[in-house]
Amino acid sequence: MKLSESIKKKNRTALLLLLISVLLAAVILSLPAYKFTSSVYTKKSANTFVGDEKYTEVRAEVDAVAEEYRASGLDVEVSESVTERTNSKGETTSMVAFSVDQTFTKNGWSFLSAGMGSTWVLMALLLCLVLSAACALAGTVGSLDDPYRALDGRAAAFRSASYYLALIAMLLVPVFFMVNTVLMSRRVDLYCDGLLTEGKEALFAKLDAFLFGGQGGEELESMLKGLSFRNTGAMWLLLPCSAAAMAAGIQLRRGSITHTVVRGLLYAFVIALCVFILYPYYVMLVTGFRSIAETNDSDFLHLLPVKWQWGNLKHIVDRGVLRYLGNSLLVAGGATVLALLCGIPAAYAMARMRFKGKNVFLGFVIVSQMFSPVVLLIGISQLMSAMHMYDSIWGLMFINAAFNQAFAIWLLRGTFVSISPEMEQAAKIDGCNTVGSLVRVLLPMAAPGIVTTLIFVFINAWNEYTISTVLISTASKRPITVGITQFSSFNMIEWQNLFAASLLATIPVVILFMCIEKHLTSGLTSGGVKG
Amino acid sequence: MNRTLQKKIKPYIWLLPSIILMAVFVIFPILIVFRLAFSEVSKAGIVGGFVGFKNFRDAIGLPAFKTVMLNTFYWVISVVGLSTVFGFIIAMVLNQKFHGRKIARAILVLPWATSLVIQASVWNYIIKYEYGNLNNVLLNLGIIKEAINWRSSYQIEFIWECGVGIFVTIPFVTFCVLSGLQSIDSTLYEAADIDGASYWDKLWRITVPLVKPSLTVSTVLNIIYVFNSFPIVYTMTKGAPANKTDTLVTYLYMLNYYNRQKGPATALSVIGFLVLCICAGIYMVGVMRKEEDL
Repeated sequence: MKLSESIKKKNRTALLLLLISVLLAAVILSLPAYKFTSSVYTKKSANTFVGDEKYTEVRAEVDAVAEEYRASGLDVEVSESVTERTNSKGETTSMVAFSVDQTFTKNGWSFLSAGMGSTWVLMALLLCLVLSAACALAGTVGSLDDPYRALDGRAAAFRSASYYLALIAMLLVPVFFMVNTVLMSRRVDLYCDGLLTEGKEALFAKLDAFLFGGQGGEELESMLKGLSFRNTGAMWLLLPCSAAAMAAGIQLRRGSITHTVVRGLLYAFVIALCVFILYPYYVMLVTGFRSIAETNDSDFLHLLPVKWQWGNLKHIVDRGVLRYLGNSLLVAGGATVLALLCGIPAAYAMARMRFKGKNVFLGFVIVSQMFSPVVLLIGISQLMSAMHMYDSIWGLMFINAAFNQAFAIWLLRGTFVSISPEMEQAAKIDGCNTVGSLVRVLLPMAAPGIVTTLIFVFINAWNEYTISTVLISTASKRPITVGITQFSSFNMIEWQNLFAASLLATIPVVILFMCIEKHLTSGLTSGGVKG
Repeated sequence: MNRTLQKKIKPYIWLLPSIILMAVFVIFPILIVFRLAFSEVSKAGIVGGFVGFKNFRDAIGLPAFKTVMLNTFYWVISVVGLSTVFGFIIAMVLNQKFHGRKIARAILVLPWATSLVIQASVWNYIIKYEYGNLNNVLLNLGIIKEAINWRSSYQIEFIWECGVGIFVTIPFVTFCVLSGLQSIDSTLYEAADIDGASYWDKLWRITVPLVKPSLTVSTVLNIIYVFNSFPIVYTMTKGAPANKTDTLVTYLYMLNYYNRQKGPATALSVIGFLVLCICAGIYMVGVMRKEEDL
């Protein structure tokens, strides 16, 4: 009895909270949301000091203009700003700028009838909130007083729907502001400056109707140019409001808020993390397919390219990117094969044989993982010129194989050790020699570990940059990491080409890496590896 | 007799290809660097006689030496330290069970799989003042009213470089910690739950001690990789202005290939190499101890 009472009470509270949130949202929408200031008239007066003859004259003129506007029903104010400067002769000059500003506020409801982009967002937001309340009602009616009956499927679905709708409403709040900002400030600027022309008249007509109630008329463009706006903050109250609605939804659905909030925070964190990590890749993708003009335009406001420039791909191919990719493939592939050919026997000996100096060699393998080619750059380039492998893809291949050798052995040894030697012993009894048992028995069993090692070495060699810049001087022999730098010369960086090429260089390795991702957690600390 | 000899030699034959490869391309360059560091080296790279520690004295006497060393220190400490902290937190989160965990892990691997030059170039573009993507996004979201100059001074540029360094290092730490976390026996937590341990108790008494070996490995390896990281600084600032943002490796590259001061450059190489050897020694002790534990 006690339980049923408490559930009833909880359900009622939650429902009440939801309804209050919806009502509150309606109230918030009536508060002034944005404060707009638009200069309808400006006048600059040079060589004018505040209070002198010229000042009074111009001031009277401006006041007259303001009076005219007031007569036509606008609420305007005159403001002035003074700039003082010392010229080359040491005299102080002063300039006064007058402007007649129209200030007005708009509340949330006015956006609802504006017919602009943000209208639809706001409508969706309100709809979600109202539907959320409706769903909560539908989900609680009948089950409110009947706690012993298990929630039937429909009631549960309604309650879930209520919670998700409130969540969507909450997410739509920032979208609403974003759309407003884009519309009001950036896009108006662009249209007025003539950077974008399409749909200009329609946008201006809508804005005129919304902001000035259709009074802008001929001067609309100048009024929009002088438009500035400030968010009063009232609309942000929608955020806690819909959060409260969401909490009520959760309460209805689960009966407990804490658990869901913790889960919600977990998902929020993971999503934020993923967005943050994907952000540079998004930039790479969209910039790679933008036109030059768009890449260098400080005002572009499109999340995606206006027109996808597939021609960029053709352009970079003409500039030899395929060749660089081929070189990279050759270097990385060759280095991988070489590293494995030398590494597998060594790892096998380390895993299966006993000999003097095994621990010394193991120690050396571990330590040599630390030897980065970068610090040894000078030594390596000397060695390469002595071996006549300077500026050669072969040299690069050997260096990459050698510097990845240690960890290939380390990783392979770990794999081999984890496989029981019984099968090989059986093969040996059947007449196989050591090589035969290695190739026919052990290698197939160790395939996952070998593939992981292979991919690691490949990626390391593919992404290697420093040694290649030093060793390769002929353009046609460059691997892709060096090849892309030709798009960024000292005075001019061709971002779109740079990123299109980067994309081509990144995609194959990223796919490879994702293939071995699940092996990463098992093999990492034992192998001690890094790309 | 012949048989036993063959058996004794056999393991070494199996090791031979690997030893040759490493001896020629790893050991040799080390020897060359050491030899150059103690020899007179002309601007054209012609090696003269033995000069003792002259190159080292020259290197230490370079005007940018102190800045570069300090930068390298800040760079290593900040990148390794912060990426370890963030990586640990992220690993703790990703170790929970939730929908899309696999996708999240696959995404997290991305910065690790991408070449550092490419990462650095992208961030270079993102933080550009005039038409950088970050300013654009923030302006369009209405978060800022005017474009912000993200690289107003070299100190700030250096901080950005560290940030990119952290960004690309986090996945490695995360996956190291994850592999440690997954090896923890879940019965330990169950026992702790029965004893009424709080979340923090479990974190400090069970998780942290058991993840410590993985953290040690990742930290030491990171110190070495971050110390050697060349492309980020080179791509983003090239050490400008006046070596104020250089780290040791970019500085020695510039010295050797642009300023042609080969003697001091090799001396710096040796200094860097010795620093790495100390780290490697610590690492080896740690790994060996871990091997014994297993």
